[in-house]
Amino acid sequence: MFEESIIESPAQPAYRRPVGITKGPGEATHEFTFVSRDDQQVLKNGEYVYYELADPETVALNNTTGPIPIRRVLGRVIKRVPVQLYPDTFLGEPEIPPAQVAAMVGYNSRTNELFELHVAIMGYYDATTGSFINPWIPPQSGKQIYLADDAMLAQILSRKQHMDPGSATIGSLLTRTPNAVPIVLSVKDLVSTHMAIIASTGAGKSYLASVVIEELMKAQNKACVLIVDPHGEYGTLDQIANYPQFSEDGDGTGRGYRAQVQVYKPDQVKVRISTLNIGDMRQLLPEMTEKQQYLLSRALRKVHETKRSHPWGVADLKQAIKAVSRQKNDEDSEGADDSSTVHALTWRIEQRFEHSFTFDDTQHLDLPEIFRPGQCTVLQLNEIDERDQQVVVATLLRRLNQARMDTERGKVHSGESYLPYPVFVLLEEAHHFAPGGTEVVSTGILKQVLAEGRKFGIGVGLISQRPGKLDADVLSQCQTQCIMRIVNEIDQKSVAAAIEGVGRDLLDNLPALSKGQVIVAGAAVNTPVICRVRTRYTQHGGESKDAPDLWQQYFNKDTQESRRRSDAPLNGNRGFNLLR
Amino acid sequence: MKIGKIVKSDSHINYVCQIFGPREADIQPGPADYAFGRFVRIAVRSERADDPDALLDEALGQSREPVTYAVGVIYDTILQNPAFGALGPRLSNETQVELFSPDYISEKAVLTYIMVLGMMEERAVFGSEPEVLSVMHGVPLLSLELDSEIETMTDEEVRAFHFFSDPAGGPDSQSPYLHMGYIPHIIAQRSSLLPMVTLRIIDQLERLFPQNLSLLSIVKRNFAWRLKVETTG
Ligand SMILES: Nc1ncnc2c1ncn2[C@@H]1O[C@H](COP(=O)(O)OP(=O)(O)OP(=O)(O)O)[C@@H](O)[C@H]1O
Ligand SMILES: [Mg+2]
Repeated sequence: MFEESIIESPAQPAYRRPVGITKGPGEATHEFTFVSRDDQQVLKNGEYVYYELADPETVALNNTTGPIPIRRVLGRVIKRVPVQLYPDTFLGEPEIPPAQVAAMVGYNSRTNELFELHVAIMGYYDATTGSFINPWIPPQSGKQIYLADDAMLAQILSRKQHMDPGSATIGSLLTRTPNAVPIVLSVKDLVSTHMAIIASTGAGKSYLASVVIEELMKAQNKACVLIVDPHGEYGTLDQIANYPQFSEDGDGTGRGYRAQVQVYKPDQVKVRISTLNIGDMRQLLPEMTEKQQYLLSRALRKVHETKRSHPWGVADLKQAIKAVSRQKNDEDSEGADDSSTVHALTWRIEQRFEHSFTFDDTQHLDLPEIFRPGQCTVLQLNEIDERDQQVVVATLLRRLNQARMDTERGKVHSGESYLPYPVFVLLEEAHHFAPGGTEVVSTGILKQVLAEGRKFGIGVGLISQRPGKLDADVLSQCQTQCIMRIVNEIDQKSVAAAIEGVGRDLLDNLPALSKGQVIVAGAAVNTPVICRVRTRYTQHGGESKDAPDLWQQYFNKDTQESRRRSDAPLNGNRGFNLLR
Repeated sequence: MKIGKIVKSDSHINYVCQIFGPREADIQPGPADYAFGRFVRIAVRSERADDPDALLDEALGQSREPVTYAVGVIYDTILQNPAFGALGPRLSNETQVELFSPDYISEKAVLTYIMVLGMMEERAVFGSEPEVLSVMHGVPLLSLELDSEIETMTDEEVRAFHFFSDPAGGPDSQSPYLHMGYIPHIIAQRSSLLPMVTLRIIDQLERLFPQNLSLLSIVKRNFAWRLKVETTG
């Protein structure tokens, strides 16, 4: 290819060859078509080409003194139509190639490959604003079309250059050879305006998310990351500590850097009961009667009043329930008896909380411990009931939001809710925490964080395999979208509806993407791109189980031997009993 | 076998041939010899030296010079009868006419229309089949001359006209394969009989190239559909 052409200089290097000639306007106003033989088969769908245009602004100023700068107007190939198709009748005999028929009637088939390519104009790149400016002048018929070279694309597709501070290289441009054109996200935009990773199951969402996390943990970012991991797939990220990519030697003035990974096992994820509000309670104790709810909400208010910001436990809550009911009985002269309600409520609370390993009187996740720059914290929530997971996430987000608000507003200067840095929270299975159609405990706070997170420095990354089941507001709040293979039509529609920035032509590719290929659009890139996700440094934790292999193992020699040994005493016993 | 001579042309590739009448040739051609769809060839007169040896060789059929032929196909026949429409009283019957005015009878003639499909060049080899030097499908550069003689082609010659390798430079210039390079220009002609003649040609080729049946069937089906189904439907 023609990589070495120089982007700034309008001078045409000898090796830059045009790939085709403009035919005319396309279907839409921002499209044009050109014709190419495409001998080297480079003009794939999604490939970038450009035509040259005298800078329209300079021309408009009528500034004839200096040379007029030449702009390279970039466009993306959206359709590739062969111009000369064999007639259907030539295709009637499966064992006879149509070229043979053509040869028989005297047509030398080597030259019949001619394509009409439809291109969507993106515009010329303006380095000062980092955006594409549409000149509104499509190429005239007959104008030469060039293939954009790798160096040019590397400069203009991504906001940042590879290894820049605040950059995240998640892979390379799909239409080019691997690593030829790195796709580099701008971490600042990614983190401040939220990100969504949407794809069908198995498309590589968790893999991509892990790649993003790896990039965030590199020395050029040193991010503060929390991963909510309902399937326990992110534990392997702790290998980050072993790789040199995630450390940096001190330069004498400061300490060196080494990324940390903290993995919290499900039994280490604690929620302090005193952080639960009435909504959480309703979720944890479903189907409470109206009376019970009333009693409980009054009791909660009371215990909050008496304890202020000190933690309280189940015992305190039970006491408050008793006190509130007594008080109520005194107020109601009719002497309605609440004792059965009190009894039932207390019993349910005991059942729910006294043996729970998630909900605790005193312990909970310490915010400054789980949120720390240069540290990635993984909260493994597998084994925790789904409703409890929602409460865990809701309470955590509430506390985080409060802490960031208080810190930013200067209300706290130390202690448990002092977080003087922005954080990034990655939420797997986001549709559990903000399902469309219904409201769960985590929906409200998640929406609030998404809406206000930019102000307080809380970035959220949402991952979901069912965009159709995800709350539409939540999805549209994410300004960076990573969309991978989606087969389901409903899901495709909801993605298209929630995401404006991505053209229809790109979304049409969704079912055709393979594993590990992603369309990235939105704030973190200059223009939507199709990217091949790079391989992880750390091992992937979300491998699918190889069932036949596991069944095979069950029957292999060693395991069979050990099983016989462990089964033996039982068999022996039974035999002995039978004999008797 | 020589069947007639060129008496007129309608264009560079369409010629009218008058079939030899009685006593005009050694063997009088029968209708089967100038049947519809029959392949014929016409020697293109080369600039012969007036070398008496060469003339003798040629006369004896021993010439070693390459001969260029235009190859064509018979696609129409007309029976010419000057007496048609002259319904006046007859003075003499047929046999008497033959006897008293032999010129008159010769004005009755069979005319066939021939379309030229290509050229081939051969050299006679003593004691065996002539050697084919080159074959070309399409419009020949030279036109034919009046009075050139037309001869029918044997199966072997028809096969040689269709099975050859592309001149050097083509994609597979090495191996010979079945050609019907004249089809496009047959189609381009506006004659209602030409599609039918194409079907006849394919029938003959199917007989000569049984190994290419499926290839031929593609062209044949296409023509048959257009000709029979589309025109009727
Ligand atoms: N970029 C990639 N390179 C190599 N392998 C990949 C890549 N992306 C995904 N894979 C492989 O694809 C499989 C599925 O990936 P992953 O676990 O990320 O899917 P997922 O979209 O998170 O699925 P689920 O919806 O079930 O969580 C894994 O085995 C992973 O190794
Ligand atoms: Mg996953």
